[in-house]
Amino acid sequence: MDNAIEVRNLVKRYITYERKGFLTKVKRIVEALKGIDFDVKRGEVFGLLGPNGAGKTTTVKIVSTLLLPDGGYAKVLGYDVVEEPCEVRKVIGVSLSVEKGFFWKLTGRENLKYFGMLYGLDGEKLKKRVEYLLDKLGLKKLGVADKLYEEYSLGMKARLSLARALLLDPEVLILDEPTLGLDPPSARALREFLVKLAHEFDKTVLVTTHNMFEAEMICDRVAIIDEGRILSIGSPKELKLKVADNIALEILILPSPATDLDRLVEVLIEETEATCSIVSDVNGYRLKLIVPPNRVEELTSISVRLLHKLGCSVRRVEVKEPTLEDVFIKVTGKKGF
Amino acid sequence: MKMGKIKTLLKSGVLLDLYFFKNNKGNFIAMLIWPYLMLGLVVGMGFLFGSPSTFKKNIGLNIDPIAYFIASTVVMMASISVMWEVGGNVLFLRWLGALPYVIVAPHRMSIILVLSYVPRYLFYTFIQVVEFLPLLVLLEGVTAGIIKTLIMLLAVTVGMLPLLGFSALFASLLLIIKEESNVLNWLNPIILIFSGALYPTSLMPYWMWLISRVLPTTYTVELARTIALIGSPELAPIMFLIGILMGLAVVYNILSYMLIGAGEKSAMKRGII
Repeated sequence: MDNAIEVRNLVKRYITYERKGFLTKVKRIVEALKGIDFDVKRGEVFGLLGPNGAGKTTTVKIVSTLLLPDGGYAKVLGYDVVEEPCEVRKVIGVSLSVEKGFFWKLTGRENLKYFGMLYGLDGEKLKKRVEYLLDKLGLKKLGVADKLYEEYSLGMKARLSLARALLLDPEVLILDEPTLGLDPPSARALREFLVKLAHEFDKTVLVTTHNMFEAEMICDRVAIIDEGRILSIGSPKELKLKVADNIALEILILPSPATDLDRLVEVLIEETEATCSIVSDVNGYRLKLIVPPNRVEELTSISVRLLHKLGCSVRRVEVKEPTLEDVFIKVTGKKGF
Repeated sequence: MKMGKIKTLLKSGVLLDLYFFKNNKGNFIAMLIWPYLMLGLVVGMGFLFGSPSTFKKNIGLNIDPIAYFIASTVVMMASISVMWEVGGNVLFLRWLGALPYVIVAPHRMSIILVLSYVPRYLFYTFIQVVEFLPLLVLLEGVTAGIIKTLIMLLAVTVGMLPLLGFSALFASLLLIIKEESNVLNWLNPIILIFSGALYPTSLMPYWMWLISRVLPTTYTVELARTIALIGSPELAPIMFLIGILMGLAVVYNILSYMLIGAGEKSAMKRGII
């Protein structure tokens, strides 16, 4: 089985009641998921990227067995989340919120011990696991393992939440906005830990975020979700190539005194069929070629070869790809307020 | 369910309470004072409106009002505690944001709610009953005091069994509805009225009397009165009530096992976990 998580045609509707008058309410059906499909391969970090209200949390709650779908199915390591929830719960670790979910009057260590016992760990095994996680997540190093949870900062709470998700050493981790509200160093530490978990410890991670930078940093593949539909799916690189009509190739050159720059541009346009321009730079000249995304590598090598032939020294080649944010805005068609 | 899992669930309940007491010493002291405060309130109110002699006259038996109220206070407090704690636990966990993490534990919700609460109940009740032992010995003598204390312990332990299932039904109701704290606030007093805690069930209209018969609290109240009223307790009426409570325990625990699953499903369907 290559897929750790399999989601097919997942549908979820919420019924809400809108107050219209003092005594009257109007029933409204909100379609949170409109038939989404995706797979998460074993050992990969898969991101669900979308704006608020896109359906990310609904999806992770269904996969975590905390919400029942109205249609379709979701399987974790082959277990159906509706038919076999207990089996699913044995192989997943869940963190839905970094700022709550623990007993305030218990210390971090005590909270982990309690939840560990609730999840079936006991004795020496529980003790070792709790100590290992407190150490791994840096709570011991910070000296807060024996501090009450109510005294924790958001970053510490996030670490403890991740530690709880890892109590049963699950194969699949499901995390809803794990870095939401964290300061940059804590967010970075958590991201690095997640990547390590997936790649060194072979865990599968399903993570939701609306942070493009985060998705690009940690996810092997990303699904862009909006208004209950998956709009695009692939690795961050693939997604960027998919939406990019053209890619800018910037080459910094140092021409020989005999080089005719106009001729150089003409030759490049002729050979590459790309739009080309040249501007002077403090370090030489900057050539800018606008090329189709599927020919980036080919045209880069052609250009470099030509430039050498024309007596130029190539200092640097830069491919200016669109960011995941560009992809997101293009795919969802959303520009903000 | 395997014995090992039951053991770890029971232990998790013990652990949680030990940690709470360790980190909140005031809470522990309040727990020790609480039964005497309740007794003081009930007896104080009694003295406000009458005297020990009028109490004896009304009851028709030569019994010390304080000994009577000790027994009824202990059993009533134990009953209320089960309903509040098991039912209200869902509320508390939801408020903490910990409910999803309890649900993802690989056990049934009803089993978690009930089993992790049992040690706390036994511990609290044992302490409260034992706290009254010196007072009972002082009022009724060593032998009668000890026997009454032991019977009270037996009564509250047996009385707990149907209440666990009954309260887990409460919990399933709280899972389904949204304004849960309101429900807990008004349902508890109503149950106590129907159980004859405030007025004897014999004075109720027939329909209320019928409802009172299916409530386990009715029998715990009767058990409390039986223990309290008899000078040297007789086993026959006590055993009869214990038998009824055991029967109700089976019915309510089976019902709760089935219905809390439905409550959990309904909450999951509506996305309110």
